[in-house]
This record gives sequence, C-alpha cells and structure tokens, in this order.
Amino acid sequence: MKQKERTPETMLPLTPAVFHILLALADGEKHGYGIMKEVTQRVEGSMHMGPGTLYGSLGRMLESGLIEVSEERPDPEMDDERRRYYRLTSFGLRVTEAESRRLAQLLRIAQAKRVVPGIQGGF
Amino acid sequence: MMALTNSRQVRLAERAYRLLLLAYPAEFRRAYEHEMTQTFRHACRATLSQEGNAGLTRLWGLTLYDLVRTSVQEHGQALFLRLLRLVSRPVLFLSPTGLEAVLLTSPLHLQIAQQTDIGIKRALNEDNLLTVLPEDPQILENKGALFVVADGMGGHELGERASELAVNTVRETYYQAEPVDVSVALIQAVERANTLIYEANKALPDFPAVNKGMGTTCIAAVLQEKILTVANVGDSRAYLVHAGTIRQISRDHSLVAEMVRNGEITASEARVHEQRNVISRAVGIAADIEVDVFIEAVEDGDALILCTDGLCGQVYDHEILQIVETYEPQESVRQLIAQANAAGGPDNITAIVVRVD
Repeated sequence: MKQKERTPETMLPLTPAVFHILLALADGEKHGYGIMKEVTQRVEGSMHMGPGTLYGSLGRMLESGLIEVSEERPDPEMDDERRRYYRLTSFGLRVTEAESRRLAQLLRIAQAKRVVPGIQGGF
Repeated sequence: MMALTNSRQVRLAERAYRLLLLAYPAEFRRAYEHEMTQTFRHACRATLSQEGNAGLTRLWGLTLYDLVRTSVQEHGQALFLRLLRLVSRPVLFLSPTGLEAVLLTSPLHLQIAQQTDIGIKRALNEDNLLTVLPEDPQILENKGALFVVADGMGGHELGERASELAVNTVRETYYQAEPVDVSVALIQAVERANTLIYEANKALPDFPAVNKGMGTTCIAAVLQEKILTVANVGDSRAYLVHAGTIRQISRDHSLVAEMVRNGEITASEARVHEQRNVISRAVGIAADIEVDVFIEAVEDGDALILCTDGLCGQVYDHEILQIVETYEPQESVRQLIAQANAAGGPDNITAIVVRVD
C-alpha cells in the first residue's frame, strides 16, 4: 500500500533556508559551499547561512525528496578535492514553483494594499 | 609569504571547527562532518583572501552563532523523538507539528491486515473493527491512517450495535474534525461515540433500572507521519513491536488490571481471575467518559497491533511477538486468531496488524 505522490502544496510554507537552497539549485547542481556562497551573495550579506543551517536543511530536504545527491567529483574552479553535488528532484522543482506562486500571491495582496509599490502601473 | 600564513590560519580554524562539531548529535556528525568541515574550510580561505583577518573574525562570529543555534535544534529533534518513545502513561501532548522536521519527514508506507472471528464458544460476534487509509495524499498527510477495534456488550444484538456505532462514529468524527491536534480530535471522536450510544440506551425501555443497555470498549489508533496516537476506553489493547520487543501501549480499564496496579494480585493471577472480563470503563454507559491517550514515535520496521481481549486473554504477549516477528501482517493475523481458538476461543477475537516500512 504505497502512498500516492504528494502534492507540492503539502510542503508549504517552506522555511527561508529551505527556499533559498531550492532557488540556489534551480539553475543547476551545486556543492555545499557553492550553495552557501550563492545564498550569501544573493541576499547581499543580510543573511548568512552557516554550515549547521545548510547541512541540517540539506539532510531534511534529502529525506523528503526535494533534492538528491547527483555525484561526487572535484570542482574544477577550486581544487582537486572531491565534493558532493546536490540537485533538485522534479518534486523539489514543483515545490519551488508552488512556494514562488504562494509568495507572489502574497506580494500582490501587499501591492493592492499599497504596502509596497506595484510593478505594473494602474489607477 | 601571505599565502603561507593564510593556509596555516585556515588549518588552525579547521581544527577548531572540527572540535566544535562535537556539539552536534553523533548521527548528524556521521552524516555531515566531512562536508561541513570542507565547506567551512573553503569559506575561510575565500574570506581571508578577500577580506583578511577582519573577515575571518566576522566569519567565526557568524559560524559560532549558527553552530549554537543549529546544534540545539538538531539535538532537540533527536531528543523530542526519544522523549515521545519514553512516554508510556496517559498524557496529553501538544502535537509536534510545530517542528520543521515533521514538515519534511518521509511519507508513510504501511502494510495492513485485519480480521475478526466469532471464536468457539460464543453465538454472536459483538466485535467490530475498521481501517481507514485515506486515498487523498493530503488527508493522509494531515490526518493520517486510522485503525479502530471495539468489543461490544449487551446481548440481544445490542453489543454488536454498540461496537459498530463506535467504530463508525469514531471514523466519521475524526475525519470531519477541524485540523486540530490528533489526540484532541481522537478524544472528541470517542466522546461523540459515547454520546450517540448513551442516547440510544436512553431510548431503550426501562433503561437503566432493568435493562442495562449496551456498551463497548474502543481502542482507536492514528498513524500520522511517524507518530502513533492511541485513544482507549476499556480492555481492548494496542501493542507496539519494536526491535524484537513487544510493549502494551494502552492501559486496560478492567477490574483485574486495577487489582494488579494496586498490587492485590499478580499479572498471571489476573489472566485466570473469575472477574477478568469485568471492565471499569466503557463507551456508552454514562453521559460522560474519560478517554486515555498515548503517544509514541514509531520507526520503520515497527508493528502496531490492536486487538480485543479474545486475543490477548488467550495468547501471551511473547507469543504475539513471535508471530508478528515471523510473518507478514496478513499471515500474522490468521495465526493470532488460530492460536486464540486453539487455546479455547472463549470470546470473539479481533486483530489488526500494521507494519510500518
């Protein structure tokens, strides 16, 4: 009696760390340090993701099938040490899309209430 | 020269960080120690070459803060699950859904078998049972799978009616409840069954002066994610088989169980006591009812057993363990009932076996 496939919506809302990691992996596989670097750069230093947060989140994301390990190989841009690369699963991609839609919807509400400026003109 | 100093600083930092990783639970360390050290080393190297010593100090500050926060969190989750396993007396617990871990746990895979048998000595089967494994993955995730066993009493088909009313009411009420805590929803479901059976009793002629009406035991278990919640009234039982051991999760509401708890008789005397069938709490016989709740963490490979006293009154716990450990659920259920009948089958026998994998 295997369970049917879960809907992405059941995973929402995501914690900021999990969503940042999913976004970092959205354009291709990365190793742990690559994820950490991208997250820190993307938010311009306003959030630092330490190794504890990173690997705690990666472990839980592996367990729930959001990501998988693609392979272990050296990063040509760094050194010849082998690193483990992580990539999104198709379920992880769908969860990323679902969370993005959820946040976009919230943003539209905030815009309609003039809390933040809207992107489109109007009125 | 600069590069040499940097690599020495990085080596020192790495050594210090490796020691600090001892703050995490062993299992977490085994899985990620190597990668975390690797990642920290590269962060050190990059920060030193871009920002120098000031950058390194800042990195240490952030990393230490992260380490303290997440090591507590990782320990908390390991500890929380261990605590749940230790709790074996009636207790009301807040649902653990506040924890991030639960959001990201793996889905539930269950093998389920169930059977009821009239036994050898009885003219009626007054037991009832029910299993709900929701098709909708969202309902399965939010509400979990439900298993109910009830042993009715009252004679003249009343016992059968009471146990049937109990299992069906628990199912309907549990799945219709607002998404609250599982244990609260289960208690409310058993209370609802109590109300409906009690109302039916009040409609009987001469109740309760002459006609004692009907009542039933009720044991209801929910498996949601890897948490087992059991609600109980009466002397039907829930057992958990874990790592080669069997443990009764529920507490019997029976005269003999209370005598054992008070030290008046021993457990083996209870099995042959004249009044071993007298229960001290039942669903449907009074306007109010007290429901016990038990919460346990389950792991892959564990098995849950729900049964009426027609089984556990005839078959010893260690025999139940041996059967459930040896066979798949379907064959286990068959063997359990065969063994109770071989021991005389004085009562109706009902069993549900659920293996988590």
